[in-house]
Amino acid sequence: MRSVPSLLEGRNRPLLRYARRDRPLEICEGSINIGAMLLIILRRLGQSVFVLFLVAFVSFMIFRYVGNPVDNLLGQEASNDRRDALIEALGLNDPLHVQYFSFVGRALQFDFGISYRTAQPVADMILQRLPATLELALVSAIFAIVLGVVAGVYTAINRRGFIANTILSSSLIGVSLPTFLIGVLLIWVFSVELKWLPSFGRGETVDLGFWKTGFLSVSGLKSLILPGITLGLYQMTLIMRLTRAEMLEVLRQDYIKFARARGLSDRAVYFSHALKNTLVPVVTIAGLQLGSIVAFAIITETVFQWPGVGLMFINAVYFVDIPVMSAYLLLVGTLFVIINLIVDLLYLVIDPRLRDGQLKQARGQ
Amino acid sequence: MTETLLELKGLEVTFKTRRGTLKAVDDLSLSIKKGEILGIVGESGAGKSMTGAAIIGLIDPPGRVSAGEVWFEQERVDAHPERLRGRQISMVFQDPLTSLNPLRTVGDQLIETILVHMNVSKSEAVQRARDGLAEVGIDPDRLNAYPHAFSGGMRQRVVVALALATEPKLVIADEPTTALDVSVQAQVLDLLKKLCRERGTSVMLITHDMGVIAQTSDRIAVMYAGRLAEIGSTREVLTNPQHPYTQGLMASTPSVDAKSFGKTLFQIPGSMPKLDALPNGCAFNPRCNQVHERCRTERPPLMSDRAACWLMETAS
Repeated sequence: MRSVPSLLEGRNRPLLRYARRDRPLEICEGSINIGAMLLIILRRLGQSVFVLFLVAFVSFMIFRYVGNPVDNLLGQEASNDRRDALIEALGLNDPLHVQYFSFVGRALQFDFGISYRTAQPVADMILQRLPATLELALVSAIFAIVLGVVAGVYTAINRRGFIANTILSSSLIGVSLPTFLIGVLLIWVFSVELKWLPSFGRGETVDLGFWKTGFLSVSGLKSLILPGITLGLYQMTLIMRLTRAEMLEVLRQDYIKFARARGLSDRAVYFSHALKNTLVPVVTIAGLQLGSIVAFAIITETVFQWPGVGLMFINAVYFVDIPVMSAYLLLVGTLFVIINLIVDLLYLVIDPRLRDGQLKQARGQ
Repeated sequence: MTETLLELKGLEVTFKTRRGTLKAVDDLSLSIKKGEILGIVGESGAGKSMTGAAIIGLIDPPGRVSAGEVWFEQERVDAHPERLRGRQISMVFQDPLTSLNPLRTVGDQLIETILVHMNVSKSEAVQRARDGLAEVGIDPDRLNAYPHAFSGGMRQRVVVALALATEPKLVIADEPTTALDVSVQAQVLDLLKKLCRERGTSVMLITHDMGVIAQTSDRIAVMYAGRLAEIGSTREVLTNPQHPYTQGLMASTPSVDAKSFGKTLFQIPGSMPKLDALPNGCAFNPRCNQVHERCRTERPPLMSDRAACWLMETAS
């Protein structure tokens, strides 16, 4: 579950190099041109839809070709008549592309078939368990981003300070310890020894009709703490180290020196000038990490017996519950695509150079 | 015009490195009068920029001001140079492409600076920012434009507007035109000169370009290896240089006269010594064409308030 930030560096750098590009642009200075902006968003959406079709294809191939769906459903001893009937019902005799599009069509209506194991509709199972995972992911993402950015900025500003160095060295622990070990250690300390926090489950949940939330009860909130930290710790240290590195880089820039020379206070220099400029790469990583938080909650959910989609996926793998696995894949893929889309749009909000560049492109075509 | 605005007394900037302590600026004393434009010339590494940065306390560690005094309007200010920064003394840096924050609008940066230093309302600050842009010849309606929407010359104009927005008494311009096209250089220089003359603002113009200096400044200080080599009025120094280094600089400045076509440029032999390998005596002695014994052993002080050279003594 460790993603590699260096892979993404290649993606960030050229964006920053835009600074050197010196082309006068007369159009839509300052204000954002709504029409052109919409065009950009629409184009991004188009690309996203294409990617989703690819994800759906992989997901479909798993569903169709991992094992034999007929054997999976009926068992090996079923009669030929029943088999033929099922093949007809599932449309397995149709040409591949017809099958694929009907799979996509059903997926669009949130129909992922029936679980082999529980005989429930997969969509219902996901809907039932998704709130648990999303709440856990939200808590760990907030933990990771807030603490990561704050600690990153702090360690960058007080580069030679004792506390900053301590934070930095201990962050190595977060990067190098595997998630399950962190989870087990936290359970041992806070649940077994200190008995402060529950060691498994969601605690009491409040049913809002469509959503079972753990945010509204004390035991629900307490139950979120340990898994939230476990899931977010690695992301936090990653974001912290990235923020620190970017901030140090930005603080070396001429415009920071010029801002100081203009007599701005340290606070204004750090927070109103330097921080915003460090955000472009941080937003990229943070966004993608958010995706992996949801996608790879599997381990944390297993350690804490958290009734979310990750645990559902693990159980599905044990029992070769193909529809659940393929639906999960589609879900995670969709999530990544949406997050990427949001990250791309955030770039445009943060960096006017990219905005103008894209607007120009949009007008050119 | 005669009152002294800024005075440096024995300023010394040192860097601690593994090979010992290096003096980037060594015992530098000079002064700038009110409304005067003082040009500081020298090769890169001569300590020009260090001097400018030292005055407003912007030397990056491990460098530091290790000795000397800075006086501003008859007050000693070297203990808290940050109090002058932006308000009394502002700076213009070399590269206009990187001097402005690319993610903030030009107006944003102007207004921010004005609000920090001047006791004015937000709307007044906006008005001042517009006036500032108009003064440097930029359409005030471009207040909401981002820096990347401007050309290099225009960005340097914005930087000039930023430097003058708080009505400082001194502008330290560190190679303000080096990164610009030649045709734009003159525009920006003239603008800077004109605006400062109008307001009676003094300028410390740091450059390695003798042409720029000749056009712009009232007085010239020539620096070599962190030390002051020669100082005097622009006319005196350029027409009658006393220090052999200044003479060499003048001779090696290219000109575009018809007479000089096809002629080889004069070169000062050798190069400026590294700061960790300064020769004894006068720092210029290994390259000097008029060197004699004393130059190799004893460092010449500034003589007759003009040049740090033993030749001055024999001449007088």
